[in-house]
Amino acid sequence: MAQVTTAPTTGAANRGALRGFFRELTRSKTGFAGFVIVALILGMSALAPIFVDSSNPTDVDAIWGPPRAGHWLGTDGSGKDTLKQIVLGGQTVVLVGFLAAAITTVIAVVIGSLAAYIRGRFDGFMLQLTDIVMTIPQIVLLAVLGAFFSLDSPIALALIIGCLTWPVLMRSIRAQALSLKEREFVEAAKLLDLGTTRVVFGEIVPNMASYILINFIIAVTNAIYALVGLYVLGLAPLAGANWGIMINSAWIGGAMFLPAAMPYILAPIAMIALLQLGLIMLTRSLEEILNPRLRDK
Amino acid sequence: MPTTDPPKTDGPILSVRDLHVAYRTGDGKTVEAVRGVDFDLYPNQSLALVGESGCGKTTLGLGLLRLLPKLGSVPKGSITYNGRKGESVDVLALRKQELRKWRWRDAAMVFQGAMNSFNPVLRIIDQMGDTIRAHPDGERKPSKKEIWERSAEMLRAVRLEPNRVLPSYPHELSGGMRQRVLIAMSLLLDPKLLILDEPTTALDILTQRAIVDVLHELRAERKFAMVFISHDLAIAAELADRVATMYAGRIIETGTARDIFYGPRHPYTVGLIKAVPPVVGDLPELASIPGTPPSLSNLPSGCAFAPRCGYVEERCTSVDPELDPITERAAGQTHAAACVRWQDVVYERKVVAHA
Amino acid sequence: MATVSPSVATAKVGDGMSIPRRIWRSYVLRRILRAIFIVWVVATGVFFLVRLLPGNPVDVYINTQIGQYGMTYDAAAAQAAALFSFDPGTPLWQQYLDYLGGIVRGDFGMSILSPGTSVTTKIATHLPWTLFSVGIALIISVSIGLLLGMTMAYRRGGFLDHAISTIGSTLHAIPNYLLALMIVVFGAVQLGIINYGQIRGKLSPGIEPEFSLAFVQDAFYHASLPILTYVLTTVGTWALIMKSSTTQILGEDYVMVARARGLTDGRIRTSYVGRNAVLPLVAQIATQAGFVVGGAIFVEKIFRYEGIGITLFDSVQARDYPVIQGVLLIVTITVVTANLLSDLVYSVLDPRIRSDEKEA
Repeated sequence: MAQVTTAPTTGAANRGALRGFFRELTRSKTGFAGFVIVALILGMSALAPIFVDSSNPTDVDAIWGPPRAGHWLGTDGSGKDTLKQIVLGGQTVVLVGFLAAAITTVIAVVIGSLAAYIRGRFDGFMLQLTDIVMTIPQIVLLAVLGAFFSLDSPIALALIIGCLTWPVLMRSIRAQALSLKEREFVEAAKLLDLGTTRVVFGEIVPNMASYILINFIIAVTNAIYALVGLYVLGLAPLAGANWGIMINSAWIGGAMFLPAAMPYILAPIAMIALLQLGLIMLTRSLEEILNPRLRDK
Repeated sequence: MPTTDPPKTDGPILSVRDLHVAYRTGDGKTVEAVRGVDFDLYPNQSLALVGESGCGKTTLGLGLLRLLPKLGSVPKGSITYNGRKGESVDVLALRKQELRKWRWRDAAMVFQGAMNSFNPVLRIIDQMGDTIRAHPDGERKPSKKEIWERSAEMLRAVRLEPNRVLPSYPHELSGGMRQRVLIAMSLLLDPKLLILDEPTTALDILTQRAIVDVLHELRAERKFAMVFISHDLAIAAELADRVATMYAGRIIETGTARDIFYGPRHPYTVGLIKAVPPVVGDLPELASIPGTPPSLSNLPSGCAFAPRCGYVEERCTSVDPELDPITERAAGQTHAAACVRWQDVVYERKVVAHA
Repeated sequence: MATVSPSVATAKVGDGMSIPRRIWRSYVLRRILRAIFIVWVVATGVFFLVRLLPGNPVDVYINTQIGQYGMTYDAAAAQAAALFSFDPGTPLWQQYLDYLGGIVRGDFGMSILSPGTSVTTKIATHLPWTLFSVGIALIISVSIGLLLGMTMAYRRGGFLDHAISTIGSTLHAIPNYLLALMIVVFGAVQLGIINYGQIRGKLSPGIEPEFSLAFVQDAFYHASLPILTYVLTTVGTWALIMKSSTTQILGEDYVMVARARGLTDGRIRTSYVGRNAVLPLVAQIATQAGFVVGGAIFVEKIFRYEGIGITLFDSVQARDYPVIQGVLLIVTITVVTANLLSDLVYSVLDPRIRSDEKEA
């Protein structure tokens, strides 16, 4: 692994780091594979709706049809093309996943870094709060809150997931911010009387950028786990079609027990598993690459 | 109490011949940290191995008990231990079980930094017990009472209170206490050879004093041979009968303590002695040795000290000198220096300020 | 420390000296108090969630009863009171105290979905099955993971190391409910190994809970698929934690000193490496347990295993608020207790914690 010098603190240094970063990424086979997988799935989910028309007519003659020309993955319980559903089905999953993770990350970064910097009662209170929220299993909390607040749109889903899963992330961010707090550039900023907001968000947070990125991706995997779970269980709105809903309808429609339905069931599972795997491989190698920088205290 | 039988032999208790210790580096190459060391250690003798960091003394110490890490190996040389019953043990050839039995019972080691030498989750008495139980006398298993008493006896010998120390966990003891417990544990099986690696480093002056005194007493009582590794010349002067200075993996001078401290003949040794101020008496000139020790993967040809030596001449860069006897004596106490110009080397210290 | 007589000093762990014992007890006390505090906070949170939000379940219920069945407000309120186990006529703070009192007594109200069944009954019939399946799964998973992890650490870079790391990470990426689905699809449908119709549910029809071998066998048979799912999704994590922890311990000075002391490999592996390497594992058990309990809601649904997960699922779908409330509290109490137990076990295994707490 190439030797990296000090943690960059300026924009120009960050850009140079970005280029170096991509170079590092291609060195690690798993990391690169992960990156490719994620990019492909993201690309497909984002672009497919533009290029593939969403009409998917039902065809009673083709119920649970096998894979054949024109229907590479066969057809589903109402004769609709499976492949089309797969290609178009990632949109919601990706959207909600990334949105929820973004919300979580923002909340965690803000609270975590402020708590680490200010310490005192605010920090103590936040620690207690996260301790308590972390005690309750995430899914249980989500299911319960899903009962109280109706989850009628993917955005609502993203909001709820985002607002519930920040505690764990907040802890990591806080720990990282605590270690950065002792560094000289923070001392310098404090001496310059730059004010809390400036110091925290102008100095500390940018230096955690890579760490935050890794945790963001981990948050995406968590969010996808939660949201797909809720779809599979039917606790999330079943309008439209995404991978989770496909699994759910296969389950409810009893398609699980039809050998002909195999492609319909396995394809979304494979896509979800692939996406998660890709994200995890990406985080693993990101950790490897970025660790030397984080450890140069 | 185990009897301290005098060894049945007049010869050395430990014979090291042409010992090389090598490490595999990250990029597949090997570097020798010890490059051909010879010495004999006689019963009840103490030898100080002195030198700067990186000279190979710790590696040598570890190598004597075959405690090298996975990347370490002994490509050449021999270590012969001559036991109390007159048996001669080729340490490097010992198989796993034999090595396990030989370790600690015949030769023990006190490690640098006793901070982390103990299992944090076991009480001291249990760790003492582990040591005793691992070396049973025949078929009989030692009883709890026996273990307690033997451990307590050793602790008292290092001036610790058994009732306070034995039931405690390691983190409940101070650094100095832990070091002494380690010494006590090392002598638990009454070995005839004790190796100490920097026993007093990282301890405060008073504790250092206590440990030196304890070691004196123990040696007088139990009569074991001692190899201790240190960069602290003052301690070496106190505890050593003989001193060997190491540089870049080789012993470059050896002799009695008196030889080394009052009449060193290797330029490096001279430099070492001159760098240490005495606490009392007149203040002599202090001089540090210019330059830094060479990298072991990139040694200069000829004498390794040549680049820094004040006595260097032509032949020093082509010949790596062997130990040349200056004063022949018995029982390993010959004064010898690995320098082609030792006859010209003069040790004198000008007084800079009067006490 | 005061001088101690030799007889006390030779005592084993457990009947140790008086001073450290008192300190240890206060550590226990503090953890227990903290656990109670957390449960109280969650209970209070739920109380306010249920009562005070606009559109909160109680009001919704009352309005529904008035609108659909033409009840008077008082009658509807009385019914709500019975269901949610509170008295609407009393001031809010009184309702709160009644609510807390009810919890302590074990009274969580009546179920909407299953009229006539108290929430407590519902929970009591379902919770043990979840505890059973999750508990067994954790024991199996931790044991296997522990052994695998240690072996991987001792033989770093070996075949086992690479194989388990890859398999473990792959399995970890697949959400546990999808894995459960795949087990059903492949095991039952494709390969016909598992008879899904028979194995679902917690017991075969006709078998009653009692202390008989037939009952135990049947219970295990039915719990086998949920347990298999839990184990497969978590064993990789345990193995990796244990491996990294063991690798770190193997590099510690005291392990080398133990070898120098001539201790047997077996002794070193158990008391020197094992006892120390297992500590991070114990610390993680509670968090992982929470995760598995959360996953139970999916896994039990898929295998139709009648544990607390299915109860929660059904009650959420049907908006059976008293049950939801009760399950949430019970799950919290369970996880908090698991945390407490694992902390206590940890403090027994690691003497350094006990002394640290003294200074804290």
